[in-house]
Amino acid sequence: MTTLTISGLTKRFGELTAVDDISLDIADGELVSLLGPSGCGKTTTLRAIAGFVQPDAGAILFDGVDITALAPERRDIGMVFQNYALFPHMTVRQNLRFGLEMRRVGQKEMAERIGKVLEIVQLAGLEERYPRQLSGGQQQRVALARGLVIEPRVLLLDEPLANLDAKLREEMRFFIRSLQKRVGITTVYVTHDQAEAMVISDRIVVMFDGRIRQVGDATAIYSRPATREVADFIGLSNFIDGRVTARTDDDRYTVETPLGAVQCRSAVALAVGSPATIVVRPESIKLSRAPSTESGVNSIAGKVRDRFYLGNIAGYRVACADGAIIQVQEEPWHASAVSDEVWCLFTSDLAWIIRR
Amino acid sequence: MTVESPQLAVQRVPIARGAVGAWLRANLAALLVLPILVFLGCFLVAPYVDMLVMSFRNPSTTSVFAPGYTIGNYTKALSDPYYLGVLAKTIAFGVVTTAICAVIAYPVAYHLARTRSRFKGLLYVGVLSPLLVGVVVRCYGWIILLANNGLINNAVKKLGLAPHGLPLMYNALGVGVGLVHVFLPFMILPILSAIQGIDPALEEAAQSLGASRTRTMFRIVVPLSLPGIQAGSILVFALTISAYVIPILLGALKVKIMPTLVIQLLIDAFLWPFGAALAFILAASGAAIIYLFIRVTGRWMKGMA
Repeated sequence: MTTLTISGLTKRFGELTAVDDISLDIADGELVSLLGPSGCGKTTTLRAIAGFVQPDAGAILFDGVDITALAPERRDIGMVFQNYALFPHMTVRQNLRFGLEMRRVGQKEMAERIGKVLEIVQLAGLEERYPRQLSGGQQQRVALARGLVIEPRVLLLDEPLANLDAKLREEMRFFIRSLQKRVGITTVYVTHDQAEAMVISDRIVVMFDGRIRQVGDATAIYSRPATREVADFIGLSNFIDGRVTARTDDDRYTVETPLGAVQCRSAVALAVGSPATIVVRPESIKLSRAPSTESGVNSIAGKVRDRFYLGNIAGYRVACADGAIIQVQEEPWHASAVSDEVWCLFTSDLAWIIRR
Repeated sequence: MTVESPQLAVQRVPIARGAVGAWLRANLAALLVLPILVFLGCFLVAPYVDMLVMSFRNPSTTSVFAPGYTIGNYTKALSDPYYLGVLAKTIAFGVVTTAICAVIAYPVAYHLARTRSRFKGLLYVGVLSPLLVGVVVRCYGWIILLANNGLINNAVKKLGLAPHGLPLMYNALGVGVGLVHVFLPFMILPILSAIQGIDPALEEAAQSLGASRTRTMFRIVVPLSLPGIQAGSILVFALTISAYVIPILLGALKVKIMPTLVIQLLIDAFLWPFGAALAFILAASGAAIIYLFIRVTGRWMKGMA
């Protein structure tokens, strides 16, 4: 069983710094997603773990042993590529045998392991097919099986679901998740799809411009985003800029904004007078005819500009003071109409200060 | 005033009207092939048919051929060990040249296919350079190098390595060097295009599964580039067994192969029917070997789309 450590990893391509001093510890059996827009360095990081990219600085350690200088074929990794990279001139069985032959596994054990892994990925009976005779989903599972059958120390997945249609993609998320838990293999999963990362991962690493912006589970990343970029990338957000006027409790602050004083929380300590941006998710806000009288609930006055109906929610865009638009997701039966004067209510627990 | 839709405007411009127009439109593709068919018919098929007829004519000492027909030319060629020997030698030349070309061409093609060098264009020019110089000039260059009193032999003699020089020309070695040099691009280009069609991720996948660079090469890249090797081999083989200028200039008739022998029979001995028969035997043998080659390599490529 293997822990994976990335320490100070840096990779430059000419002028561009693709990966900028990344450090990360991944526990044995953990599934960690690298999430970010294209060009954020997530794929370069994965390829450095695989050994296809030689870093300019930093180290990669398996179980505390530095493997940075090791060739890819000596790292004992299983890798699933975005386009699957199945060997087109080999049948499913030959594809699975390839890694085992390289490891000089005996014929009998080979057959057993191939049989077992094909059962796990539910492809038994397709051994003699060529990749082009399989559907996209089947090819995807062959690629997974090929990576798993060698029983690698670390499994690396590079956007493995990106080429599947939407419905199959959602199914495969759960399939990969349960498969990974069942096998218990340390896994790094690269994706640009936030929902995929949230469903599949133990922890999510959000990356921008070659740097890690936040590490945490889905709840932490979504409800307490560390930066504006993270909040913007994952889900919809309202941002309210202001200045800290008081610290009311350990992590509770009052921030003066153009929309009025807002009570909120912060994960980092802030000095009175420092600038702050508050993030509030649209579904954290309720619309009301009157301001709240409860303590710890913020009320912001505004006028409904747009209403839209999506079946599971009713969406609102509320124009507030200073021309700011607040996005609100209400229950689908909520009745406020366009031009209604409303109050946007949200508790201080769901308003978080992010770094600027 | 009515405004016409763009669709209607398009339909208003047919190639031609009526039944003739309809026929033209239906057979446009076939018509476009017509010029090349006419050209090949006049300058390839007709001469071949003429030669085929010639190969069954009776020989004559006073004119090109005597009246009447015979299969004697073929029985003579196929029963004489001398001609069979020359045929075997020609085919052996083809096989060996093809094999050497393939071995030399493969690394070059792989490098060209995978390089991201700024000098890629220059490398292409380098690969094509044997074709940029006329065949006679190129052979003259080789003669300067390989002749008995050429650059290499003079150096060897001066250095006292071989007092009588090395036999580099007027033998199979000299002809082979010349043939490999000029036919190399015909091997490199098809292999290059085949390797370019192989997703580099396949090589990475093989490595991630524990295969070394060498194993990745022989288990993944080479099998997937077989169509390129096949095409290149057919080209080089066909060109080699029919090569005339290079064997004449670098072998000077001391290397007995079919094309030079046929020309000797036609021009020097004036034995048109017999020469035509030999030419056809060579063409048929070459075609048969290429057919077998395609069958065998096709079996290796079974799994590929």
